[in-house]
Amino acid sequence: MNAPGFDTGAPPLALRGLRVTRGRREVLAVDALEVAAGETVALLGPNGAGKSTLLLASALLLPAAGEVRLFGERAGRGNAVRLRRLTSTVFQDAGLLDMSATRNVAQALAIHGVPRAERSERAARWIARLDIGDRAGARPHQLSGGEGQRVSLARALAVEPRLLFLDEPFSGLDFVMRSRLVGEMRALLAETGVTALLATHDHAEAALLAGRVVVLIEGRVAQAGPTGEVLRHPATPDVARFLGYSVVPAAEAAALGLEGRGDAAVPPAAVTVVPPGTDGAFDAVVGAVEGAGGAARLVLAAGVAGTALSAEVTLDALAEARWTPGAAVRARIDPSRVVWL
Amino acid sequence: MGLIWEAFAEAWRLLTTGDAAIYEIALRTAVITGFSTSVAAGIGLPLGLFIAIGQFPGQRAFLSLANAGLGMPPVVAGLLVSIALWRSGPLGSLGLIYTPWAIVVAQALIATPIIVAVTAAAVMALPPTLHLQVRAMGAGTVRYLWLIAREARLPILVAVMAGFGAVVSEVGASMMVGGNLSGETRVLTTATVLEVSRGNFGTALALGFILLAMVIAVGVMVTGVQARVRRL
Repeated sequence: MNAPGFDTGAPPLALRGLRVTRGRREVLAVDALEVAAGETVALLGPNGAGKSTLLLASALLLPAAGEVRLFGERAGRGNAVRLRRLTSTVFQDAGLLDMSATRNVAQALAIHGVPRAERSERAARWIARLDIGDRAGARPHQLSGGEGQRVSLARALAVEPRLLFLDEPFSGLDFVMRSRLVGEMRALLAETGVTALLATHDHAEAALLAGRVVVLIEGRVAQAGPTGEVLRHPATPDVARFLGYSVVPAAEAAALGLEGRGDAAVPPAAVTVVPPGTDGAFDAVVGAVEGAGGAARLVLAAGVAGTALSAEVTLDALAEARWTPGAAVRARIDPSRVVWL
Repeated sequence: MGLIWEAFAEAWRLLTTGDAAIYEIALRTAVITGFSTSVAAGIGLPLGLFIAIGQFPGQRAFLSLANAGLGMPPVVAGLLVSIALWRSGPLGSLGLIYTPWAIVVAQALIATPIIVAVTAAAVMALPPTLHLQVRAMGAGTVRYLWLIAREARLPILVAVMAGFGAVVSEVGASMMVGGNLSGETRVLTTATVLEVSRGNFGTALALGFILLAMVIAVGVMVTGVQARVRRL
C-alpha cells in the first residue's frame, strides 16, 4: 500500500513506555519494543501474560498509556483510523461479517478505498490464493474453522498491509489444520514480505514464523532475541519453565549428576529413562504421563526434594513400558543440553 | 350464540362491502402508527447502538432505563404526554392535544424504549471480536456503526416490529391524548372500545379483525425478511 507522507526509514512499529491497567492492576508494562521492516516478531508467553494486550495496543485497538508509533507517526485519537488502514489484524476468531467469503474480502478493500471495479477481482484472487476458491460464495456459518480463518487471512492480506498483526490466529484449529496453516502462513510472509507481529503461546509456531521472539511473563518482557537463541537459551527460570524446560535448583543439581553454577534448565529431550544399572542415572518416580501433538512426556519426581523433571519419550516407548503414576524408574540427564541460569 | 353469529355476520358484511368509515379508521391507524414507529426507530436505533457501543459514564443507567421502559404502561405515557401538551402545560402553546400528532408523540414514547433496549441487547450480543475486527479493518465511525448494525439487522428489525406491535395495539394513550375524535384521532383500538360500549359488536369485531390482520402482516414480513437474510 502506498502511504505518502510516512517516514519510510522509520520502523513499522515502535513502542515506548507502554502501560495498560485494568482496574488498579497494571497488566502490561513494556519499556521499549521495535519491529523492523520486513521482520516477523513473535510475542511468546503463557495465557494471561499480556501478549494479546500488547498486540491490541500496538494495533491501536486498545487504549494504553505510553507511546505507539506506526511508521514513525505517533498514534493518537486523531490519526488512529488512518494508521489502522496501514495494518491488518487476524484474530483467533475469524470475525467474519455475515456475508459471503468474497464479500468479506471486498468489504475490507472498500474500507481501504479500493475502487469498486477492482474489488471483486482482487478479492477473488486472494480467496483463490488461500485455497478456498470453491468456498467463495459461502457465508461464515457454512465455513469450517480452518476455512473461516483462511478467509480472515485473505481479507487481511488483500488490502496489502504494511504491518500485519496476528493474534493467536491458529489457536482455535485442530492440530492438522493448524500445522498446515502455519506452513502456508510462513510461505505467505515470505512471499509478501510484510512486517508482522504474532502473538502465540506455541513455541513451534514462533520458531516457524518469527525471526525474533519477545517472551512476556506477567505483562513484562522477560527475554527477547533471535528465535533460536531464546528457545535454546532461556535467560530466567520463568522463561525456561514456559519453554518447557525443567528448572533444577542449584542445591539439587549435584544429586541429579549435574555440575555447574546456578539453577539448571533441563529440556525434556535431555532427560531419558534408562534401564536399571545404567551409569550416571538417578532414581525417580513417575508423577504424571502427558501427551500432545504426537509426543509424550513423563513428569518425574527426582532427587531428595522430589524436583519435577520432564522427560520426552516416544509413543512406542510409552506403549511398551506402560508407565503409570507412582512407577519407580531410573533416569539420566544429558549435561551437554543443560542451560545454566 | 346468536349474538356471536350476528356479530360475525355483521363484521363480514362490513369488511366485504368496504365500509368507508372502517377503512378510513384503518388507514389512519396505519399512518399514525407507522409514523410513530418511524420516529421511535429514528431515535431508538442510534440510541440503542450508542448505549451498546459507546463508553460513557452512566451507560448502565441508560440501559436500565431503556429496559425499564420495555414495560412502560401506555396509560402512563399518555398521562405524561397529556400533561406536556395540555393547553396550560409546558408545550400547550403548540396546540397538539387531541390531534394525530399527540398520538404520534405518545406512541413514540412507548415504542422508543422497546427499540432502544432490543437494539442495545442485539448489538451487545455480537461477539466482541467482531467489533475489534471491524475497527481493525480500518473502518471509520460511520462505517463501523453501519457494519455492526448490519450484523445485528435481524434483531434490530424485530425491535422495530415489536415497537410497532406495541403501539398499534395500545388504547390508553391514544384515547387520552387523541380524544377519539371521529374523523380526526379515532384509531382502530379506540374505535373498538367505543363500538363495544355502544353494543355494536359486529363493527367492533370488524375493527378487531383489521387490527389482527395488521399484526399478522407485520409478523409475516419479519419472517420473510429472516428467510431472505438466511438465503443471502
